[in-house]
Amino acid sequence: MSDLFEMVGVKPELAEQQVPEKENRWYDTIPWLSVIILILIVGGCLFCNRIMTKDPSYMDLKNYTIAPCKEFLFGTDTMGRDIFSMIWYGGRQSLFIGIAATVISTGIAIIFGTVSGMAPEWLDMLLMRATEILLSIPNLLTVIFLQAILGKANVFSLSFVIGITSWMSIAKIIRTEVRQLRNNEYVIAARCMGGGFFYILYKHLAPNFLSSIMFMVVMNIRSAIVEESTLSFIGIGLPLEVISWGSMLSLSEKALLTGAWWIILIPGVFLVVTLLCITSIGDCIRKKLNKQESNL
Amino acid sequence: MLYYGKKLVIFMISVGLLSLVTFYVSRLAPGDPLFSYYGERVEKMSPEEREWAEEKLGLNDKISVQYSRWINQVFHGNFGRSYKYKMDVLDVLKSRLGNTLLLGGTGFLIIFAGALLLGVICAWKEGGWLDKIICKAGTIISCVPEFWLALVLILVFSVSLRWLPSSGAYAVGQEKNISDRILHMILPLTVIVTEHLWYYGYMVRNKMLDEIRADYVLLAKAKGIKKSRIMLVHCMRNIMPSYLSIMAISVTHIMGGTYVAETVFSYPGIGTLAYESARYKDYNLLMIISLMSGIIIIACNMAAQILNERIDPRMRISRQSEMQEVDNYE
Repeated sequence: MSDLFEMVGVKPELAEQQVPEKENRWYDTIPWLSVIILILIVGGCLFCNRIMTKDPSYMDLKNYTIAPCKEFLFGTDTMGRDIFSMIWYGGRQSLFIGIAATVISTGIAIIFGTVSGMAPEWLDMLLMRATEILLSIPNLLTVIFLQAILGKANVFSLSFVIGITSWMSIAKIIRTEVRQLRNNEYVIAARCMGGGFFYILYKHLAPNFLSSIMFMVVMNIRSAIVEESTLSFIGIGLPLEVISWGSMLSLSEKALLTGAWWIILIPGVFLVVTLLCITSIGDCIRKKLNKQESNL
Repeated sequence: MLYYGKKLVIFMISVGLLSLVTFYVSRLAPGDPLFSYYGERVEKMSPEEREWAEEKLGLNDKISVQYSRWINQVFHGNFGRSYKYKMDVLDVLKSRLGNTLLLGGTGFLIIFAGALLLGVICAWKEGGWLDKIICKAGTIISCVPEFWLALVLILVFSVSLRWLPSSGAYAVGQEKNISDRILHMILPLTVIVTEHLWYYGYMVRNKMLDEIRADYVLLAKAKGIKKSRIMLVHCMRNIMPSYLSIMAISVTHIMGGTYVAETVFSYPGIGTLAYESARYKDYNLLMIISLMSGIIIIACNMAAQILNERIDPRMRISRQSEMQEVDNYE
């Protein structure tokens, strides 16, 4: 039979070449370098007891402002504390504040945004105007005030203050998403069957809007860490005794006078590297999101 | 006309609310305002003297009474005296406002032009090495906290190299010397600009990239119009309205950045003044600073909204057609 008919037009060797390109696997898009560095830093902070060579809060008054050497790997600060130990110990506080503040702000944003999205027109308008007014008050000012009301700052009060002042932009996004989602049949059906607010939020709304706020949430961790360090640096955040990357940097004015670069550079480099890793992970999330949207 | 009237009403309400909130919160916060007026002497005061002092400054009334008195004074153009400087707060503010305007204004102009330039360059060379380098560098720089960048700059340029002064707006007795002022402005200005430049540059880049994928660009190209003309004339016209409204909002961010930079470089501007007054409970000064910042911010947000809704002819047409649709429907 094969002799009778001849294949024309299709060249078999060409057809084989046209195998569709291999699609990117899920792990190709992840910025591995950032993830590994971030895991190293977070792990080092979590298990700081194993790494630390000295007691981070012990003030060795004989050895103050010593440049990095064998005994003090990253040198000592102006109060004689070992910077190497402080970095890992203080990283805990900084990272904790970053995550706790984000949890608080995301929680508020989800509740507020959903209420505003599900609410009737006039209430929605009122709530959104309120957020805009809150957004328009300078952030630093509100933080200073709240901190003053709460009294002396500690890790918890600071995360609370940062969390409570940074939920507005996420809430706005959630509200827009919920406005679009609320007219879907499944939401209406769930409401007709008597589903409560939190049930609908958890079952129907949150799975739909979570992907669009993920990027903002990751970026919120970043800005919370920056805010903690800025506040501690200016002197309204954590006091000197509570070690964090920010409060370590608040010694830098004294360090500037003596030219002790390691007191300024080393905690800062850790801070910046952590922020960079978080940013690249956030960017990766955003890119994935955009890809999905363009496919639709 | 009705449109602007509405905006004005919302503006007034926002400012009023802002003043109320700031007033209450600042009074509720712990701390001793007498300390900023009398300094160390407060600790040695007897209870009677304290009471007399509080009476004199009007601090022992209820907060609501204090607020209504303050509002009443404000409408008569009297913003009260600063406890710390013992002068009219307007005079205190006037002495510092110029410095901040100079720093923040120059920063804003550089950011405005620079972001546009960077964004257009990146979009022009999309995917090329220049674009990649600028994007990477921009991401890294935007991760650096502002105050730390300031510290490193001080460390390098004033402590190690001794090229530039590390603090103040001018050397002692050199108030009128322009070159000295510029020298003092370089470091704070660098901090403000680098912190914000890429954020807006990236925005312009993405907007531009969206724009050059539009159909009219293809048409223009088919007509044989040069690439530079398409990008700088045709596309630019389309991204300008949204860029302008973004830049109107950016005033807020740049102002915040200016405040932080001022504190680190101890530059005598509004930022350091705000920090001082919040710290030492200099109530009258605090009120006028937060009111002024708030007014600028709210005004900028409104300007952005108006720009968004009014300036872009496309918006106007779409609104008209919407209205017509509604009419037809009825």
